[in-house]
Amino acid sequence: MRFSLILLTLSSALAQDAGATHADWPHYGGTQFSWRYSALDQINTANVKSLTPAWIFQTGDYAENLQATPIVVDGVMYLITARARVFALDAATGGEIWRYNYPEVPRNIPGFIGSRGLAVGDGKVFFGTKDNYMVALDQKSGRQLWKVNIDDARQCGCNITAAPLVVKDKVIVGGTGGDGAHRGYITAFSTKTGRLAWRWYVIPGPGEKGHETWKGDSWKFGGGAPWLTGSYDPSLNLLYWGTGNAAADFYDAERVPAGADKSKDVNLYTASVVALDPETGKLRWHHQEVPDDQWDYDSAYEVLLMDREIRGRLRQVLVHMNKSGLTSVLDRVTGEFLGAFSVPELRTWIAGITEDGKLVGRNEPQLGKTTTICPSAAGAKSWNSMAYSPRTGFLYVPINELCNDITPNNRVAEEGKNYMNGEFPVKLPAGRATYSHVDAWDPVTGKRAWTLPYKYVLLASMLATAGDLVFTGNPEGEFFAMDAKTGNRLWSYQTGAGHRGAAVSYAVNGRQFIATATGWHSSVVGAAAAALFPDQDWRLGSTLVVFALPEASR
Amino acid sequence: MKSVLAILALAAPCGAQNVADVVKQGEQVFAKTCATGYCHGVKGTSSGAPRLAGRGFDQAYIATVVRSGVPDTGMASFATRLSRPELIAVVAYVATLNGITNPTLGALEAEPTARALTGEAARGADLFKEAVRGFGRCSTCHEVAGFGIPVAAPIAKIPASVAALKAQMTPNVKTAAMDGESMPALVLSESKQGPVFYDLTSAPPVQRNALPGAAKFTNGSEWRHASAIAAYNDAELSAILAYLRAVIKP
Repeated sequence: MRFSLILLTLSSALAQDAGATHADWPHYGGTQFSWRYSALDQINTANVKSLTPAWIFQTGDYAENLQATPIVVDGVMYLITARARVFALDAATGGEIWRYNYPEVPRNIPGFIGSRGLAVGDGKVFFGTKDNYMVALDQKSGRQLWKVNIDDARQCGCNITAAPLVVKDKVIVGGTGGDGAHRGYITAFSTKTGRLAWRWYVIPGPGEKGHETWKGDSWKFGGGAPWLTGSYDPSLNLLYWGTGNAAADFYDAERVPAGADKSKDVNLYTASVVALDPETGKLRWHHQEVPDDQWDYDSAYEVLLMDREIRGRLRQVLVHMNKSGLTSVLDRVTGEFLGAFSVPELRTWIAGITEDGKLVGRNEPQLGKTTTICPSAAGAKSWNSMAYSPRTGFLYVPINELCNDITPNNRVAEEGKNYMNGEFPVKLPAGRATYSHVDAWDPVTGKRAWTLPYKYVLLASMLATAGDLVFTGNPEGEFFAMDAKTGNRLWSYQTGAGHRGAAVSYAVNGRQFIATATGWHSSVVGAAAAALFPDQDWRLGSTLVVFALPEASR
Repeated sequence: MKSVLAILALAAPCGAQNVADVVKQGEQVFAKTCATGYCHGVKGTSSGAPRLAGRGFDQAYIATVVRSGVPDTGMASFATRLSRPELIAVVAYVATLNGITNPTLGALEAEPTARALTGEAARGADLFKEAVRGFGRCSTCHEVAGFGIPVAAPIAKIPASVAALKAQMTPNVKTAAMDGESMPALVLSESKQGPVFYDLTSAPPVQRNALPGAAKFTNGSEWRHASAIAAYNDAELSAILAYLRAVIKP
């Protein structure tokens, strides 16, 4: 009852109040506004130097790294590992309350092992699996309640690595497969029964608007998989999701209709931000960021919802970055384009973007040729989330300065099989001593406020707090805190394994905690990045490390 | 471990293994691994887990189940529990229990994919699992030749005609009463932990794990196979039957 009253209050409030987490960390992105910002300020710039480990949890699942964002509700932490081992822990001590092991997935199921998180809602814990099931557990006991297959992973070459999103009585999830011959979709199930509520295909079928942006039958295997987690605005009752790149990734001749105007709406709705009706899955509006994507610039990343004054008027906006580092600011009610800015220092794929959002000077890879493109398909930012602090108004973003040599090919699509149609070895750009940086960007001005360079790559999510701190980790194992206003590095702790996951903040009985997943290794971008620095030996692992101020000093 | 090495040593110089010896080895593996406890029983006659003898299983299916297990049942994956020669031997042995007198010893290698099909059967193979049909395709509930979700038991008997396919009776679908509603239910197991069943109310089927006593089952249901295949026309169903005849050996 108390919960519903709070919701009612929030629904008429501004995003400024609804975007921050408090004692709980209830969703993948913090709140469903996806700020990864905690309103807790017990730990702050003045005392962060005293931060010390409070407890450590070894998951025992060392097959892959720990990528998941922990969820904390009412003093209980819910954590999922790469192979879908799920734990409920006492968030103050790390004591195990229950555990659930998803059965080992047969080896003939394709796809990467990994989980980026689970969702908690309606008294249940929800997660997706490598063999493409959505599973619901009882939140109190960990007992399995239902599971439902989303698609045959062996046929579609797709599965779920993203955390689901619970909206009212539905659990909504996107899938992988956008680099294969597959037609991506978002699927919603009833939280209570697991029954299908709706499915929205990223690529419109025959007779649907947008279908004409595809050549011939290419829509059937055109990619677009929305492989991460969306956001939700309860007052507008709109669901926001980023969609993946078109397939074939690097070769467009089979998918782009003859004479298409590449300045807008090609291969809809790939590489876009879409607003959907959460009850029906119907499309309300879309904004395509990369028409005719030929660089594997997924737009599947997180969607941040905030209210900001733009040109003298308070607007309800969303901020969204895609793999290219191009960051769009849209009116989240209508989808109106309000502006965009490019974040990486190296950019060769376009010359720029017009005031109305059109890409200028496209540097398109050509069949039979090799073109050096920056940033690389590994992403100016990888899938790991940025954070946003309403106190500074800045986005905090981990950016990598890598390039790749793209050589397209024209292989024929084969359902569920790789359909990137190109080689794209990632390489270090010449003339630099550092290859990544944490940045603070003001989304309204499109200006960088500060930057903190780092020698290697940054592939962990960001956490911002009301203590004016920003946290993240690096592959060498350092978990570190920066001053949100200046970027000065204030504290760091060697956790013993590289960082490829996410940090969250929460409180139990008035004590603030900062928890971070640790453990390097990734099948895709992590491996590509590690190969660039062969003298480095970034350590694997699957451990949650939780920090707090010493009991006496707070 | 010693016996495994012995097989390897035997196999290597001969090039081709002696089928009878491998089957015999498979029988030994079966006796100490599969026939035990409440599992498949002596010579696959069942002592709790499903009977394996005389079920009409083909070798690819046996290999898949042995290698991958059956989700949410007691049937685990043996891919890493047994050595490769042991796996080959046990698959060959279970094949002989199903009337395959001369099993293929390399069956483990072959991923169960659709064989080279032509004409109507090839068209049927596509229709069976056509992605654009979403959850209205056969593969939503049936696994054949390595594709599809094994909600239903393996197809053992192929309907003789489209009319027979449409008239397919499903006496194994019951009606479950749970949480104040009734639903067509395909029961997987009923144990002390409570029943596990598929809710067939809408596609895709949802596996439900009920608490003991939380679901009541009665025989018969409103569910009809004809409705589940309603999105296919007769010509398409005819092609699908041709496909099933081509890949499922009686």
